[in-house]
Amino acid sequence: MSGNGRTGVQAQPPPLGAETEGTPTEQQLLARARQRADLAGEVTTQLAGSLNLRRTVLRLFALVKPELADWAMLVMADRRTDRLALHGGHEPTFVTHIDGIPAEELGVGRVLRSGRSELLHVALAEDFADGLDSMIPHDGLRAEATALRPADVLGLALTARGVTVGVLVLVRGAGRGFPEEDVALAEQVAGRAAMALDSARLYEDRSRVASVLQASLRPPALPRTPGLRLSARFRAAAEHLDIGGDFYDVHGGDGDWLLVLGDVCGKGVEAAVLTGRARQSIRTAFHFDRRPARVLAAVNSVLYEEDSDRFVTVVCARVRPDPDGRSAEVTLAVAGHPAPLVLHADGTLTQVEVAGMVAGVLPDVGYRETTTRLGPGDALVMFTDGIYEARGPEGFYGMDRLRGLLPAYAGAGPEAVCEAVEQDVVEYLRGRAHDDMALFAVACGR
Amino acid sequence: MRDKMLDAVGRFDGALASVEVETAVSVVEGLLAAGVDPVDVLVDVIASAQRTVGERWQRGEWTVAEEHAATAVSVSATEAVARWVRRTPATRGRVVVACAEREWHALPAMIVGTALRAAGWDITLLGASTPPTKLGQYLHDLGPDAVAVSCSVLGALGTTRRFIEASTAAGIPVVVGGSAFGRDAARAEALGATAWAPGAREAVDIVAALPTVVPAVPPMAGRAAGEQAALELAHHRIVTGLRERWSLAAQIVTTEALPLDSVDAIAVDVVNQAVHAVWAALITDDPRALTETAGWVGSLLDARDVNPELVLELGRLLAADLRDFPIARDLVARHWGDGVLAAGAR
Repeated sequence: MSGNGRTGVQAQPPPLGAETEGTPTEQQLLARARQRADLAGEVTTQLAGSLNLRRTVLRLFALVKPELADWAMLVMADRRTDRLALHGGHEPTFVTHIDGIPAEELGVGRVLRSGRSELLHVALAEDFADGLDSMIPHDGLRAEATALRPADVLGLALTARGVTVGVLVLVRGAGRGFPEEDVALAEQVAGRAAMALDSARLYEDRSRVASVLQASLRPPALPRTPGLRLSARFRAAAEHLDIGGDFYDVHGGDGDWLLVLGDVCGKGVEAAVLTGRARQSIRTAFHFDRRPARVLAAVNSVLYEEDSDRFVTVVCARVRPDPDGRSAEVTLAVAGHPAPLVLHADGTLTQVEVAGMVAGVLPDVGYRETTTRLGPGDALVMFTDGIYEARGPEGFYGMDRLRGLLPAYAGAGPEAVCEAVEQDVVEYLRGRAHDDMALFAVACGR
Repeated sequence: MRDKMLDAVGRFDGALASVEVETAVSVVEGLLAAGVDPVDVLVDVIASAQRTVGERWQRGEWTVAEEHAATAVSVSATEAVARWVRRTPATRGRVVVACAEREWHALPAMIVGTALRAAGWDITLLGASTPPTKLGQYLHDLGPDAVAVSCSVLGALGTTRRFIEASTAAGIPVVVGGSAFGRDAARAEALGATAWAPGAREAVDIVAALPTVVPAVPPMAGRAAGEQAALELAHHRIVTGLRERWSLAAQIVTTEALPLDSVDAIAVDVVNQAVHAVWAALITDDPRALTETAGWVGSLLDARDVNPELVLELGRLLAADLRDFPIARDLVARHWGDGVLAAGAR
């Protein structure tokens, strides 16, 4: 089950400080020195592997236990919210928060303020509530540590970029103790861990803001549309962001739907922001008048008045299924967007004859509507220019290739059509970069 | 209950064959409402029917388009199960479920993701052919407890390995599964996965037992991995050359009247698969990738009344084309024929 035997059983050297009998031999001393050096190096490389705070914390525990300590807890201070996060204990995934950063007299509070590490010895019989209370400010965690008596507790200041951001509390039980060399090593580990944890926290702060914004700009999950089968695909030029200048939406209900596919100029974050605005104005326009030409005219005015040099191309398809549910009437209007294709059940392909001015460039543009019918098994296929302008080693993908591919999928349904086109285009790219790409297909039926 | 399941399986099969989404969804929803375990619905109804879909294509009974259409029905049915299991809140950690680049079969990943969601895991499903930069971004942002990678085509084992590198570099355990891994853990181990799951049901138990943190996998070293990397760069040239010289391809050029999706589409697939099998054997050190592929090609051509001798011819051409790749050539020379023999014996 393990990969390359690395997670399997391996002859591990005893944890540092484990030998208590007699004077160590020269060989043992050398082995331990090497073990310390390895651990210090390991901490640096392993902790660099993730920018995620939670994963960095888990990694840190896996590194220090059991090598450096029998028990470990991490305290992270958040000075803006005046809260402490406590991680770990016996269960590395455990996390809890306590309000208020403790005062500076004792334990965690003192280490956080002074930035100086502290070593406590906790004897077997002694009532040591004083010492541990303040170093482990949580009943359950303290009970775990208490069970290891007689114990030595090392509270290490985690200082990164001039600020003490937390405390790593290490406990060694059964008189294993923290000899001077191990304290030095622990401080070295703490220094490296502090940097990694601080970076992960900065990343988390940023990514929280970004992911909330990003979520509002991502293409929506398609709603269930009784009477219509829908499928859509979006691949962002900025692959890791999942957002870009192409968008699609579904509005309406009760047998009267407006399907929208569009493309704002540009790509990446800037384009995505404009996408959000275009989507919103379409939604609002649709609320007042469902006719595609009127929706586009409204979007054009709104974007034009924003006085930016940005523009957007859109195709709007108003789809109204017939009472029998097997076919539908489609009213289309486009603003500077490639006209959609209709893939008929018999494999013939027609491009809808419809054209119109891009939106956002001129004031008072009128749009013309075209009406077409979707029979049983027919699919309306809308796409953005990122599809046919995808550029592989053999040049542009092109409309001809798209036209050549589609007939084989006649009657197969929108999902199969989108899947086939996406795969064909992406494979054609053979790993090359691409612009935003979006597809949207609809057919009758549930 | 057993009769109910058998009856449901039959009706579900029928719905796939006739592309009736509504029927398929109602079969699935009926079982769930009757108290059948969602994982049983996923594995014993949807995944099992989907296997027949693949076999029908393999036997030449269905075109690729028909296969896609039936798969889309299974996707809708799986979505229905997903809606059902989402009604209970997730109580465990998070698992990112993904398909590596070149893996276009999104359904198995959906099934595994839905099974994990039924077991209480929070799921982030990245779709077909996920770019590695996207996976990396999600790992940093979400810090999941585990990553599950589904791989059903040999050509995506290399990119799956990249996913394993990305995950373990962040200390995150990776469970892998799918038909590209064959019938045991050998390929998964060779690629450095934390665990191998033979199916969706097993994946649920395996994910629950994964270690919290795993070490980063060591880089793939060695001459075999080097040859695979070079082969990947030369892929287009090799595949084009094979298609031009292989007798099957030659037949297609001369018979224009062949219906779409018969031998023409098959030839492209087969040549690609053959080269991908070489990649897989190189990076996993498992020559069964070649014997299995040769056997598969044999049965595919057999179902289309093509002279079986052509499978051996493809092996010979392939070995000759690999003259600059000694390990690969040796693997093909030694193992391709075995696959043909094994298929013949069946």
